[in-house]
Amino acid sequence: MAAPRKAREGEVFESVYSVIALVFVLVACVELVDGVAVVDVYRLIQYDLAGVPFGSRLASLNHHAGSSLFAPGTDLSRTVVMIPVREVNITFIREYVVQRQPLGGLIFLLPRMFSPENKDSMGGGDDFDKDLMKNILVELEQLLVHANIPYPVYFAFEDDNINAVLVDVKRNDATGQPATATTGGYKLVVSAPEPRKLASPTVTNIQGWLPGLKADGDSTQLPTIAIVASYDTFGAAPALSVGSDSNGSGVVVLLELARLFSLLYSNPKTRGRYNLLFGLTSGGPYNYNGTHKWLSSFDQRLRESIDYAICLNSIGSWDNELWIHVSKPPENAYIKQIFEGFSNVAEELGFKVGLKHKKINISNSRVAWEHEQFSRLRVTAATLSELSVAPELLESTGGLVDNRHILNEAAVIRSVKLVAESLARHIYGYQGKNVNIFADNSSLTVNPSYIASLLNLLSRTPRVAPFLSKNDPLIMALKKELGDHTIDVNLQHEALDGMFTFYDSTKAWLSIYQVASVTFDLLLLLVLGSYLIMLFSFLVITTRGLDDLISLFRRPPSRKVKAA
Amino acid sequence: MTVFHFFNCAILTFGPHAVYYSATPLSEYDTLGTSIKAALVYLGTTLVKLVCLATFLQVSENDSFDPYQELLKAVIGFIDVAGLYFALTQLTHRNISQNHKFQAVGLGWAFADSVLHRLAPLWVGARGLEFTWDFILQGLEANANLVFSISLAALGSLMWLRKNKPKTLIPIIYACAGIVATMPSITSYLRRSLGWNFSKVVGFELFTSLMTAFISWQLFVTCQRPST
Repeated sequence: MAAPRKAREGEVFESVYSVIALVFVLVACVELVDGVAVVDVYRLIQYDLAGVPFGSRLASLNHHAGSSLFAPGTDLSRTVVMIPVREVNITFIREYVVQRQPLGGLIFLLPRMFSPENKDSMGGGDDFDKDLMKNILVELEQLLVHANIPYPVYFAFEDDNINAVLVDVKRNDATGQPATATTGGYKLVVSAPEPRKLASPTVTNIQGWLPGLKADGDSTQLPTIAIVASYDTFGAAPALSVGSDSNGSGVVVLLELARLFSLLYSNPKTRGRYNLLFGLTSGGPYNYNGTHKWLSSFDQRLRESIDYAICLNSIGSWDNELWIHVSKPPENAYIKQIFEGFSNVAEELGFKVGLKHKKINISNSRVAWEHEQFSRLRVTAATLSELSVAPELLESTGGLVDNRHILNEAAVIRSVKLVAESLARHIYGYQGKNVNIFADNSSLTVNPSYIASLLNLLSRTPRVAPFLSKNDPLIMALKKELGDHTIDVNLQHEALDGMFTFYDSTKAWLSIYQVASVTFDLLLLLVLGSYLIMLFSFLVITTRGLDDLISLFRRPPSRKVKAA
Repeated sequence: MTVFHFFNCAILTFGPHAVYYSATPLSEYDTLGTSIKAALVYLGTTLVKLVCLATFLQVSENDSFDPYQELLKAVIGFIDVAGLYFALTQLTHRNISQNHKFQAVGLGWAFADSVLHRLAPLWVGARGLEFTWDFILQGLEANANLVFSISLAALGSLMWLRKNKPKTLIPIIYACAGIVATMPSITSYLRRSLGWNFSKVVGFELFTSLMTAFISWQLFVTCQRPST
């Protein structure tokens, strides 16, 4: 009788044990995010240029917070330093970075007004301050992008949580007690996987045709005028590189031109005798790699039929002077004609256009302007830009400062008018004549709300080419938009120049924990231990009497005697 | 060192129960069975309370003090008292004196309360990196709760198990029992309506628990005199 009962009991025990074990396993897997605050942070770009590493090489972070690079006595290799951009001293940081001094991590706090989600205008504030901050940011960005930094660098926007934490950390640092495991403080944690190389990044070029009017019986190819703008950006924080001016403004001007000329070309009576080719190219910051691949894919006849090409680059924040950059000498007849056409229209519109000549050096792989890619293939081309000096590699490509607020919508509208009038006068043969084809209040007037909505869209979309997949929604949207105005829209996918390698992990969450020191835990253990001992003694004394308490500590001596 | 913190808070929350059991004569008389039975009765009572709360109570959006809802909660809280009555009177206990019976029942009751209400938040919360004082305060609250449960069990045993009580003391006994039974409503009133923060509420609970322990001890001793 006993055996079956025992077996049943054994079964019951086993099932109970297994349930308990399951409960423990489940409970041990529960992990909550329970920090003081969780903040969006954006990582510094990490890339290799011809095998040389640049940018921040690490992504995950797990150290105590500090507030200054110069606190004495701290082990900076285990500290994450949080620096608001307003307080950045660029020379210190430059020295620190160039000398490769060890650091646990670096977080730059950007003012709220640089956030792409910030809809309010830059508002009030000191213009001088704002300009100063912009200059600091531009310098900082150039420094970080061209340095090899062996620790994680992140950008975050200031908000109440982070500001409160920073104030606390500064206070702790000021009292000479920097945070470590034994003194408590704040711990900053970013758990991100190790950054991996982006396998075969692609650049996607989008082109659209507006075919011109072929006279009956005419078998020769019509000449083509190309209008080109590169749409991708590059900046210190790729998740924040919206490039409103460089080159969002160029893209918007191109799309508006496409719209206006499609209106003209829709009616055979007003169709010009030129084909119009619109190209949205990618790979701009990387020596206009995409443009080169796009042009190389044309066949010889098409390339020879291009009369000239106008490249648009950064035309959104100028006041009263634009520049046309060329690589053929200004005495060249074509160049003269183009330049005169533009400057006449500019005079009528009330501003100046200047001409700048920069010779191209075939042996140097650096391509500073987009028209240089055309010139290398013997196509006449010019770039229209507000920049008077050619930017260096990875400069002026849409960084942290380049957001919606530095755009001047009136400037964009005037740029559209300039290019549209100049092109139309050339196409319809009205050079030198005082004609206003795209007059205000006509059916061909420039549409400010179309421009504004496109600028808003582009100012919310980061567009670093290696991070855009072949079917990225942005590319599809641009394709659709160009397709609405042109015939025959094509996408061309190419691999990005092998000289550049990029790594992923551009956005992460930063958890800020307020931690207590180990000494605190030890003290607490001591206090609790003594409390429990006191409670024990109290209860023994009150319920059993003092003698019992004392007898607990005295070993009964009689037992040993008995055993013996 | 966050598992360390969990360990600290766990011994603060559950340590006193173990200490109470081993320090007082309860361990000598092997009253563990009684405590476990009382814990099971507490479990059953809590389930019944949950069902009643879910059926009758409306969840309010803001955290304010609604008298009608609080009254309803207090009424449901008396199910606790019914559960305690059941544990004290209906369960068959081995032959242990009344003195030890109420202590064992109160201990089991308080232990079940601590485990059900405080173990899960402790396990999930105290092991994280973030440090808050909440878990230490919760442990102190568990201590106060232990004292309350034992006092309530003492008053309960006086009410239901002792037949010959001095007539004058009966209303006092019932009054004290009523106060202790409605203690949860009082603390929630303090927290919601008066806006006391957690540490103040815990301080208040500790203070009142000591007072009620003293009062119920005095009552128990005076009631014990006629029988001896």
